[in-house]
Amino acid sequence: MKRRVRIQNLGGARALILHRPHPSVQNLTRQLTAIGLVVDAIWPEPGPQILAADFVFFDVDMGYDAQFPWEPGTSPMPMVALIGSEAPGRIEWALGIGAHAQILKPVGDSGVYSALLIARDAFDARRELSGRIADLQARLDDRQSVVQAVALLASRGMSERDAYGELRQLAMNWRITFEAAAHRVIARFGDEGGADDRRSHR
Amino acid sequence: MKRRVEIGLLFSRTGSYALLSRACREGALAAVDAVNTDPAIDITLVPVERDPGGNIDLYGPCCEEILRDTSARHVVGCITSWSRKEVIPTLEKVGGTLWYPAPYEGFESSDHIVYMHACPNQHLLPLLDWALPRYGKRAYLTGSNYIWGWEINRLARETVTAAGGLVLGERYLPIGSLDIGRMIDEIRATRPDFILNSLIGPSQYRFLAALHELGLSDPHFRPATCPVLSCNLTECELSAIGVAAEGLIAAGPYFRNLADNADPRDFGSSFEAAAHDAVLELARLLKHRPGADSISLAKLLDAPGTSACSIDPQTHHRTLPILIAQVRNGAFALCERRADVAGDPYLSRAVPAARQSGPSLRVVS
Repeated sequence: MKRRVRIQNLGGARALILHRPHPSVQNLTRQLTAIGLVVDAIWPEPGPQILAADFVFFDVDMGYDAQFPWEPGTSPMPMVALIGSEAPGRIEWALGIGAHAQILKPVGDSGVYSALLIARDAFDARRELSGRIADLQARLDDRQSVVQAVALLASRGMSERDAYGELRQLAMNWRITFEAAAHRVIARFGDEGGADDRRSHR
Repeated sequence: MKRRVEIGLLFSRTGSYALLSRACREGALAAVDAVNTDPAIDITLVPVERDPGGNIDLYGPCCEEILRDTSARHVVGCITSWSRKEVIPTLEKVGGTLWYPAPYEGFESSDHIVYMHACPNQHLLPLLDWALPRYGKRAYLTGSNYIWGWEINRLARETVTAAGGLVLGERYLPIGSLDIGRMIDEIRATRPDFILNSLIGPSQYRFLAALHELGLSDPHFRPATCPVLSCNLTECELSAIGVAAEGLIAAGPYFRNLADNADPRDFGSSFEAAAHDAVLELARLLKHRPGADSISLAKLLDAPGTSACSIDPQTHHRTLPILIAQVRNGAFALCERRADVAGDPYLSRAVPAARQSGPSLRVVS
């Protein structure tokens, strides 16, 4: 499938540059301003305003973990690494912090627009995947609940296969996930010892 | 005693887009004359010309020759976006400035380039905004195979689709190719409401001639029901297109001899006007500032007193009129004039300005 890049909505977006005063910051600011962003440059401690930024550009040469008020790799916005020394240790640090794109220093006359689009796309993709993984993880953790609920239903006089189908039917009727239905079945029938009253729950 | 300032001209007087280059060159040379004979301006401009002959690989070297072998720091030139992008590394290396006089596809804002002609929020978006309600939303997109056509058609596809329309086909030809048969076949088969034409040079001339033929045998393909829209067609190519130009609709910042011309100056085309303005604007920035000849564009635009200059110091684009015009009896006639709009190369500053401001004057409906 062809990947569509969102090109609109950069106008008025806030960019925060975490870098000491430097000609590269000027060139970066010029490009960002031309594209239509509102730019702030801060060094070394960004303060709470970093949380309000739509994009963060951070210095890989002099940067350190404590500059970011979040766990490494969990930034709430796209992050662009400003790389001077391409030493493996610094690149490793940039990856650990969660760079979504990079620009090499010295920053010249171009490169910022593509970094913005690539960083945002990578950020969106990573966030979507994280959401899906968390969802799958939760479902995986609930395997035991599902087994328990199927066993409970089966103990009320049906085959395991039918009990599984019944649980699916209940989830559909209640408009909740399979796993949530399992939790509900356990809560309702777990203590009752298996009275045959399933129809009242349809 | 006037100060002598060399100025580069980088235009291909031969090759597939020679008509556009010649229009720009004429505009620039006329402006050089105007500056040199103006007693109020304390500089004499001395043109230094290089002609890449339409060969894309010669633009970089020719530009470098100008900047290396002469004292010129400003070059007026380039027609295609491809050639413009070719000279950027040279401009960066030497600290030169290119004054680019052609409409282009946007998404660029070099510190070393002034964009004198229109970008999409000044040509394509208002043109589609005007045409979609009038002709329909089923589009066929053509273009020469390089960045201009690709990006214009990408934006057009996005705009047409967002408006609930449909792109029936999209096809490209290498620059200079006359192989237009397949495009015409597809257009005949899909019967679009309009055709967006971003072909350049001989490909465009052959294509328009074939489409004109098609209209003779099938009335659907005449301008009233299936017009050809263009963001870069001007008077300077009408002679090459001839009778097939009748009914073409173009958007641009200037057309010649419009009935209600708000711009009283007489240029052959908007290409000529943009190159002319480039030289005048440069002279305005350099005059009465000894030593300014060699400072960077950013510093030139930053100086006090340059606020009257029409170039946005952030984007290096201009505020331009938006005119939509149609070829009737061999000349452009105004369809609609919209409010002047600042160039917005990244389309990030506003919703399409055309939709915001609306028409300020409607001459022909």
